[in-house]
Parts: sequence; C-alpha cells; structure tokens
Amino acid sequence: MKLAPLFGIEAVAFLLIIAETYLFFNFVVPVGPIPHSIAEYTGLALLKLILILALVAAWFVVMVGLTRIYVRAKIRNAPRPSS
Amino acid sequence: MSSGLADVGLLLLSFLVPLICVLLGLPPFLRLLTRMGRLSEDVHKSPPTKVPEPAGPILFIAALLGEIVVATGFQSWVPVAIMLGAGIAFIIGLADDLFVLGGKTKPLLLSVAGIAFVGMVAFRPDLYLPAIYFPIIGRAAPHFIIYTVLAVVAFPVVSNAFNMMDAFNGEISWFTLLTSLALLVGVSLHAAYASGFSLARVGATLPLVAVAAGFLLFNRYPSRAFDGDSGSLMFGAMFAGLAITGGVEIAAIIAIVPAILNSFYTLSSVRGFVERRRMSSRPTYIGGDGLLYPSTEPDAPNTLIRLILLAGALSEKDLVKDVVYLTLVACILSVVTSIMTWVH
Repeated sequence: MKLAPLFGIEAVAFLLIIAETYLFFNFVVPVGPIPHSIAEYTGLALLKLILILALVAAWFVVMVGLTRIYVRAKIRNAPRPSS
Repeated sequence: MSSGLADVGLLLLSFLVPLICVLLGLPPFLRLLTRMGRLSEDVHKSPPTKVPEPAGPILFIAALLGEIVVATGFQSWVPVAIMLGAGIAFIIGLADDLFVLGGKTKPLLLSVAGIAFVGMVAFRPDLYLPAIYFPIIGRAAPHFIIYTVLAVVAFPVVSNAFNMMDAFNGEISWFTLLTSLALLVGVSLHAAYASGFSLARVGATLPLVAVAAGFLLFNRYPSRAFDGDSGSLMFGAMFAGLAITGGVEIAAIIAIVPAILNSFYTLSSVRGFVERRRMSSRPTYIGGDGLLYPSTEPDAPNTLIRLILLAGALSEKDLVKDVVYLTLVACILSVVTSIMTWVH
C-alpha cells in the first residue's frame, strides 16, 4: 500500500496522456484554414507549436505539482539509518 | 506446409534465435570483458563489487539476428528500419560506455537515430502510418510533417528514458521485458483486428522481448552483467521504432510512464540535461545497515527511486521489486488502452 500514491500519480499521467494527445491530434493539428502563402504557413505552424508546448507544459505542471505534494508529505518522516 | 503454420514457425524462430544468442553468447563475452578489465563497480553493494560491462554488444547482435530472421522470413523492411535506429543508438551508447559523452551531446546524437529511421520512409512509404489511433474514438487524421517531427523526437526521449531506468540490479531488464510484452500485446491486437496489417510487425517485436528475457537471467539481483549505455539506449530506440511501426504509440507511451516520470522528475530537479556521473548531489545513499535511503537534501534530484524510498528504506532487491510493480501497473494500463483501441 505504500506505493498507492505513486500508482495514483501514474494513473493521472495515463489519463492526461490520453486526453492531451486526443486534444492535440483532433483539435490542434487541424487548426486554421489551408495556408496559401509561406507567411500563413509559418504563422500557423508557430501557433500549433505554441499550442503543443502549452499541452506539454500543462502535463509537466500537473506532474511536478503532484510530486511536490508527495515529497512534502513524506520528507518529514523520511527514513534515516539508525546510528 | 500451410502459410499459417509457416508464420507461427517464423515467429517462434524470431523469438528463439535472439534468446539462444544471449544465453550462449553472453557467458564467454562476460569472461572476455573480465579478462580485458572492463569491470564496473556495483555501487549499491556494501562493499562495492565488480561487474563486467558493457554487455550491450551481445544484446545488439542477438536483437539483430532476430530481426534478420523477421526481415528475410516475412520479406519486410520494418526490421531494417528498426535496427537502423537501434544500431545508431547502440553505437552512441557504446561511445558513451568507452569515452563518456556529455549530458547534452547524447540526446542530440540520438536524434540521428530518429532521423535515419524516418528517412527510411523515402524508400518504404508503407513503413508506418503518420496518424495516431485512440482508444474508443479511433484514428486521427494523418499528418505527415507533425508525425515525422514527433517520431524523430521520440528516439532521444525514449532512449534516454530507458537509460535512466538502468541504475539498479535487474531494473533495466525487468523494465524492458514488461514494457516490450505490453507492446507485443498492442501490436498483436492491431494485427488481429485491423485488416492489411502485416504479421512482420508482430514478429519484429519478439527479438526485443527475447533479448530482455535472456538478459534478465544475467542482470537480475545480484547482477552478473551490466548492459551499459550501449544496451539501454538500444532497448529504448528499438522500443520507439516498434511503437511507431506497430501503430501503438499511445499504449507504448503509457507502458513507459514510470520511465517518463523518472526522466521528467530528474530533468526538472537538476534543471537540464546533466550526465548522472556529474550530478552535484545523489538522490539516494546506502546506510550502514546496507539499506538504501532517500536523500533529504533540498537540491537532491527527484528520481523515481528517491520517491519510492521516501515511503521507507529498502534493500536493492526490494527496491527493484517496487519498480517492477510500478511498471506492471503501467503495462496493465497500456494493455487496457490497446484493448480499448483495437477490440470492437
């Protein structure tokens, strides 16, 4: 049972991966009209890149946040060798 | 002989050839490494013991032989592309084993493995479909450029993630065996439920399973062999290539969630790519009682191992058991994802 919090973090990571890849391939990838010039193409590519990075950052923030909560809860009672 | 029986025979052969190669090839190779003085300290033992390293070259040869069986037997280019990427990762890993590459150099060089892999599409456009399959919902629209960029990035990310799971006796071999089995289930379901999906893609997964299973016998606690970066980077590159050619990207990512979390935790806590041998403080230490303890220093890297040990000090053997449990849960989630994707 001591691994339960880490199993929980894994489950959150799993749900976020599925949800975010779905958002990415179904909403971010088809964003915008078909580009007609290099400027439009570049602008659209940059927008998609920013949206991808935002999704990755959201995953990162949730994971780091959960880990910090776990570390804070555990560090006070962290095991130490008996001297 | 019917083609069904011939296919089963080929699949069996693509598993047995690499397995036998590891089982028969590794003992003399380990003796050679010992004679050459290529021994590494097993730092988690008190006092440290010496273990032959790297076993990577034999693991690579074994995987290569298995993929040759698949390539010739099924007349497929899939194993060629996989071993091209894995071969480059193996050479980079071997260079790191011999000369120690920098923390930033390795991921950059590993991108070459990804570029070579996707470059094969120029010769074989049917190598993979540039689209992702989702559980329940089905396939997203193909997008060649975005998929290609992600495929290139996958090689350094996944290879490094595997490499970072190579710290304790049996950790990398258990991790590779379980995740490759989850991958095999996903690719097999894809082959069973999608029309026109070649059995060669299932066969290409078997050498990775076989090499990991064979190596586990030598790498489990107490280790008689370390794979070195040449082995772990090759495992990661093979896994990435198989996930792409097998069309099971999401299930594959979920199977390696413990490794992804481990890499993200480490990168975020040490703020960038730092070679592990150059980290300023260690995430764990060995107590006088021989057990492993988590570092309580504020700047200690937040590895997965440190997070496990925060719940209680463990022997190395029990610690790896906990890593196996975490990997097992991720692999079960991966199999669930594959079932939800392919079984309708």
